[in-house]
Amino acid sequence: MRAETKVGLLFLTTIVVLIGFGYFIGALNPFSNTHELNVMYNFAGGIEEGSPVRVMGIKVGKVSKIEFDPSYRSPSGEEVKLKLRIQIDKAAWSTVRQDSKFFINLAGVIGEKFLEISPGSSSAGELTPDAFVRGEDPPRVDQLISQSYGLAGKLIEIVEKNEGSASNLIGQLDKLVTNFNKTLALMDKTSKNPEVSRLVDNAVKISDDLSYLTGQLRTKKAEESFALMHKLLFRMENLDKEAIKKFLQEEGIRARMF
Amino acid sequence: MTAFLALVAETLREIPRRPYRPSEFFKQLHFVANQSVPMVIFCVCFAAMVTILESSFHMKIVIQNDSMVPGFAAMLILRELAVVVTALLMTSRVGAGLAAEVGTMAITEQIDALKMLGIRPVQYLVVPRLLACVIGMVMLGIIANITCLVAAMWVSDFYLGFAPGTFITSMNRFVGMSDFLGALVKAACFGFIIPLVSCYFGFNCEKGAEGVGRATTKSVVASSVAILVVDFLLAYLFSILKA
Repeated sequence: MRAETKVGLLFLTTIVVLIGFGYFIGALNPFSNTHELNVMYNFAGGIEEGSPVRVMGIKVGKVSKIEFDPSYRSPSGEEVKLKLRIQIDKAAWSTVRQDSKFFINLAGVIGEKFLEISPGSSSAGELTPDAFVRGEDPPRVDQLISQSYGLAGKLIEIVEKNEGSASNLIGQLDKLVTNFNKTLALMDKTSKNPEVSRLVDNAVKISDDLSYLTGQLRTKKAEESFALMHKLLFRMENLDKEAIKKFLQEEGIRARMF
Repeated sequence: MTAFLALVAETLREIPRRPYRPSEFFKQLHFVANQSVPMVIFCVCFAAMVTILESSFHMKIVIQNDSMVPGFAAMLILRELAVVVTALLMTSRVGAGLAAEVGTMAITEQIDALKMLGIRPVQYLVVPRLLACVIGMVMLGIIANITCLVAAMWVSDFYLGFAPGTFITSMNRFVGMSDFLGALVKAACFGFIIPLVSCYFGFNCEKGAEGVGRATTKSVVASSVAILVVDFLLAYLFSILKA
């Protein structure tokens, strides 16, 4: 074989290898079978062109382009200026519905960003290719951290300003706890004193007796006696001291009434 | 240095000038590319295997996790390893050969004879070798990169437990086509350096066999140093362009 032929074969091999590599890393895809969609955000949180798009955890496409679109307004009138153009395989297209949600998530130990699409309900209609949808803005971790810094600063300021009061308060609390402990110890000691035990026993006995007496008062006999006494007093109410005096004098009895 | 820059300038001037020598070009390309393929494949395979094993070993020590090793190794291979190892191999194989060949021609007064015959030595000797080296290095760069990746994938599958699919996914996360094309730009630059440095030392060869040997040694050393320096400069340039 001539040298030219060998060189030509090697050249062809390298071209084939180059195209194969491009296909494997997704830079070349002549058999692409995707639909495109525009997802609008106000904060993309570090996602990049080429980041994967997943539905139910499965990679179904990638973010093909990120650009600003200041002219866009959402149907609700909100200004959303960041446009992520994403490719979704036709096989997964039917799972993306009008009520689907578009999140930007983190995956793996290196924190790779990806666009997660939660599949919508089957009752919602399918999206049309090249449609515009509103994505869920990821949380601003940087803002949260800066707010935490502010809060921490304020806390430190409060503590520094009220250092004396805070120390005093802690001292008082310490004393209170000490006293409480002493009280608990005293109560414990008192509960073990024989005199106190006897006192408690007697109190229990008195309580039992009282319970017995009140029980007796609630018997039928006691109720009847109480009714009779009430009747007697009712009858005696009409008697006045003059009439009683006269009665007693007539009987020869001298008495000092009331 | 001035003499070297003069040679570079003269070579660039001679490239578009007639007569073209396609047969000489293909002969040189066959020597540079085809005949180097087995050696390049064999050497870069081992370099890639060592790289991924060492990467895994160090990752386990540093972060107790080697899940990102395939992507990391792929990035290292594409950006640096494959092309630089290939260039250094080419320096020792092609560069030394060119220096010895041109040096021998110089001391046996064949170059003077060419001049007497009205043949421009740079046009006759350097231009076909330069073009063959540039194109050959690009071709070898592609082959070396893919070979390295396949070898790394094989090692990661058998020794580290990463399936080829995992390797490709991890690789996709770390590298893109731009890294590959950057490596090919580096390969072309290295292919430019090797024949020029070798021919320079060949043209300036001292008399005798000892002179040829010295010129060959000097050309290999100078080419290797130049490759590493240019590699640094290009890596720095790419980092600026990417930022």
